[in-house]
Amino acid sequence: MNRLRQAAIARLTRWSARRHGRDSLPLTITKRRIYIVPTRFGIALALLLVAMLLAGLNYNSNLGLGFGFLIGSLALVAMHHCHRNLLGLKVDVRGETDALAGGAARFEFLLHNDAPVERCDIEIRCAAEAPATHSVAAQAYDRALLDIPVVQRGVLRYERFEVRTRYPFGWFRAWTYVHAPLTAFIAPAPRGTLALPAAAAAVGNAAYSERRGDEDFAGLRAYEAGVPLKHMAWKVLARGGDAAVRSYTGLAAQPEWLEWSALEGVEVEARLSQLCRWVLQSEAAQNAYGLRLPGTEIAPGRGAAHRLACLRALATYGTDVAP
Amino acid sequence: MSAAPLAERVTLEPLLWITACLALALAPHVAALPIWVTATVAGAAALRVLLAVRGRDAPPRAIRFVVSALAIGLLFVQLRTFNGLSAGTALLSLIAGLKLLETQGRRDIYVITMIIYFLSLAALLQGESFWLLSYLIGVCWLTTSALLRLTSSASPGQWRRSVRYAGRILAQALPLAIAFWLFFPRFGGPLWQLPQDGGGATTGLSDSMSPGDITDLANSDEVAFRVRFSAGTPPSDERYWRGPVLHDFDGHAWRRTDSGPVRPPQLLLDGPAYQYTVSLEPNQHNWIFVLDYPSHWNVPRGFLTSDYMLVQPTPIAQPLDVVATSYSHARAGEPLSAGMRRRDTRLPPGRNPRSLRLAQELRAAHPDDMDYVHAVLDMFRDQPFFYTLTPPRLAEDTVDGFLFDTKRGFCGHYASAFAALMRAAGIPARVVTGYQGGTYNRFADYWIVRQSDAHAWDEIWLEGHGWLRIDPTSMVAPERVEHGLNDLAVAGQALTSRWQQRTPSWLRDTRLRLDALRLLWRQRILTFDQNSQMQLLGWLHIPEPNGQKLAFVLAGCLISGMLWLTWQVRRDLILRPRDPVARAYDTLCKRLATVGIPRSPHEGAEAFAARVAAQRPDLGSTVITLCRRYSDLRYAPSATPDARSAAAFSAGVRAFRPRGSRASS
Repeated sequence: MNRLRQAAIARLTRWSARRHGRDSLPLTITKRRIYIVPTRFGIALALLLVAMLLAGLNYNSNLGLGFGFLIGSLALVAMHHCHRNLLGLKVDVRGETDALAGGAARFEFLLHNDAPVERCDIEIRCAAEAPATHSVAAQAYDRALLDIPVVQRGVLRYERFEVRTRYPFGWFRAWTYVHAPLTAFIAPAPRGTLALPAAAAAVGNAAYSERRGDEDFAGLRAYEAGVPLKHMAWKVLARGGDAAVRSYTGLAAQPEWLEWSALEGVEVEARLSQLCRWVLQSEAAQNAYGLRLPGTEIAPGRGAAHRLACLRALATYGTDVAP
Repeated sequence: MSAAPLAERVTLEPLLWITACLALALAPHVAALPIWVTATVAGAAALRVLLAVRGRDAPPRAIRFVVSALAIGLLFVQLRTFNGLSAGTALLSLIAGLKLLETQGRRDIYVITMIIYFLSLAALLQGESFWLLSYLIGVCWLTTSALLRLTSSASPGQWRRSVRYAGRILAQALPLAIAFWLFFPRFGGPLWQLPQDGGGATTGLSDSMSPGDITDLANSDEVAFRVRFSAGTPPSDERYWRGPVLHDFDGHAWRRTDSGPVRPPQLLLDGPAYQYTVSLEPNQHNWIFVLDYPSHWNVPRGFLTSDYMLVQPTPIAQPLDVVATSYSHARAGEPLSAGMRRRDTRLPPGRNPRSLRLAQELRAAHPDDMDYVHAVLDMFRDQPFFYTLTPPRLAEDTVDGFLFDTKRGFCGHYASAFAALMRAAGIPARVVTGYQGGTYNRFADYWIVRQSDAHAWDEIWLEGHGWLRIDPTSMVAPERVEHGLNDLAVAGQALTSRWQQRTPSWLRDTRLRLDALRLLWRQRILTFDQNSQMQLLGWLHIPEPNGQKLAFVLAGCLISGMLWLTWQVRRDLILRPRDPVARAYDTLCKRLATVGIPRSPHEGAEAFAARVAAQRPDLGSTVITLCRRYSDLRYAPSATPDARSAAAFSAGVRAFRPRGSRASS
């Protein structure tokens, strides 16, 4: 039964994909793309209605029949209201997201409701993952966050997502497929015990003293906007000279290369995990760092965008998806 | 499909709501349910609520299983069946209670709502009043609101909104339900035979009579049936409504034995014919009360028995309308068969010896049958016999006790004694029970026959005459026959119930008016059938109405109903400004869009008007005027837009009907 159901759903999604093609976002849900079927409670209600009809006819009871028809009509009206709950809703989504394996990939959807009625219990789901349920007030928009737990490093891609509702009563389920790809770049879980390569190299090395000199005064240079106030050479300024800035030596100026080849002999995923940990550590230490993977090299830098680029490179390593 | 929202635990508040709904749905059944079933359901609900108050879940599965098995087993032992309406209702109520006990998730809520719907239906299969229907629709509304509230993730405390939304859905369902009800084909009879536990208790006359029986009925105000005469009303001494005819006398009570399908002896009908409609209340009996002596009737499978009772094969479980014709007089067309003569002259040996002796003495003095009958009736009239609603209790030989000791009795006593005396003289006699008289409702021209109009009389066979109706009660209390029981008092004793005496006339009138409404409800709603549907089709000017056309109309209703619903729900989505000026401006823009000049979202009123004027010079001046007026109303420095100029603007827009498309410009 379950296999039959899945086969039917697969057919429907394929057919729907052929029918609508790739959707451009934001998408307004039109009546042509809303499908609706009774849920198992709806089917149970239908059986109950048949029983009510038979009872009414058998006892030849006009009031009984009338009451049965009232419940039946109630179900029909509920079907229309369920359909309406999706109709005209605008959906948008940020198609790419990043996550660490073992965490959750968070997709951000935007539901925009122009109509003067509330949209209750709108579920957004990807494949068989647990849905995000949201209600959008009349003439408002709302952000819905869908968290999908991810275990494995790599690229998670959904060709479509589903917007569905069972409101009101849960007798019917109306849904629509939005054929817009969702991609999650899942970087490896940060693991590994090795210290950053530069720090390791510094031990018992001449560079150590240089590193110690992190805060050492190295001379004056001309003022540039954006320099921290505590680095200003106030005395120079007080003497009537030009605004100058004290500069210091330190390793911060020296980019660190996080190298694939530095981890020779470690298993691939463990290597990637170690690299990921280094990336996060370097970023936290606000050092500039570069990443070298076989076939990929990311020039040294730092900041959110740089970190993201490195993590994506780690996520897509060995897959055929370009970061 | 994930079960996450369904597994959600049911907390106290939803539980209380669903319990309240169940209690309301069970209320109409309580009287008919075995008392322990009600107690079990109440106990289960109380226990579950108590557990929820303590913040605990349903009791463990093992306990629930044992309780369910015990309760359902006990019910089966008591009823011996789960088939039929009352047994089914009891079972369903019990299951609802047990389900409540194990309620944990939303799934259980669905099951309970479905049981509530079905219990409501079951109540309507038995009951028939307008109030019951209204009440149950109210229960259905509340239950549906609860379902809506409990299955959506709305924050708690939004009950009012749920009730309003469910009410709106129910209101939209109502027209559709009425259309279905009107045009769904009726089959007239049951689809299959059910065990005749009869949804309700039997009421009214039964197929046996001991002298005190009818006295119980005399205190009942319940309506037995209503009659409307279509042409001419028979005088009161001819309004005898024939019910069960009793033949077997055991010295104490009279009983009816089924004679089986025997062809009724031919009748030569005579006298004026009366045509009328009897609207019977369900009484769970097979017989149909008609006026003596029926010649035509429209009961599909009805037939006359050998003693001229009109019966149908199934008990009357639903309100039934019968159109019949009766003749007030009839003569036998053939002699009495030997079997029937034997049956109607039999007396139990050794019982009522004093009466037998009296009969022998009288018979010796009056060898002619007619003389003998008169002698017996004279005895009732001349001797101190009294008509009373509270006769003294009688011993085993009721006829002896009544004739010689108490001399006080009700119609049953007189009919019983008279028939016994006739049989003792060898004259075939039988007791006929039924109703006599009735109350005229002058507000709607029909007669109400209540249980208190129940009566018993006799029929005797005289050679040359055939069966002859004799009402011995009329010898003692002629008013009973002429005015009916309610206006009668004999021997200083009030025959009417105290309530009736004290009722002021305006209240009695109100009661009659209400009864007229009840009859209308019955005729229009309760007895709506195939014929009514054909009449309805005829009224809709559909030529030669038949079942097939009915199906077409039903399909048409379904399709137009769906279209109507689509329109109804789409309308919710359209943003309509509350402000009449803005609404009128919307209309203006919409009308211009239909002729090919849509307003761009960024365009102001005056810029738009200028563009319209450029594209369609013929519309230009009107549109410019309207748009300027709109700008004034909206943005003029005098701020407060006065109602008059707003109305003028709206009227201007209403009158503006541009024609032609861009192509014509």
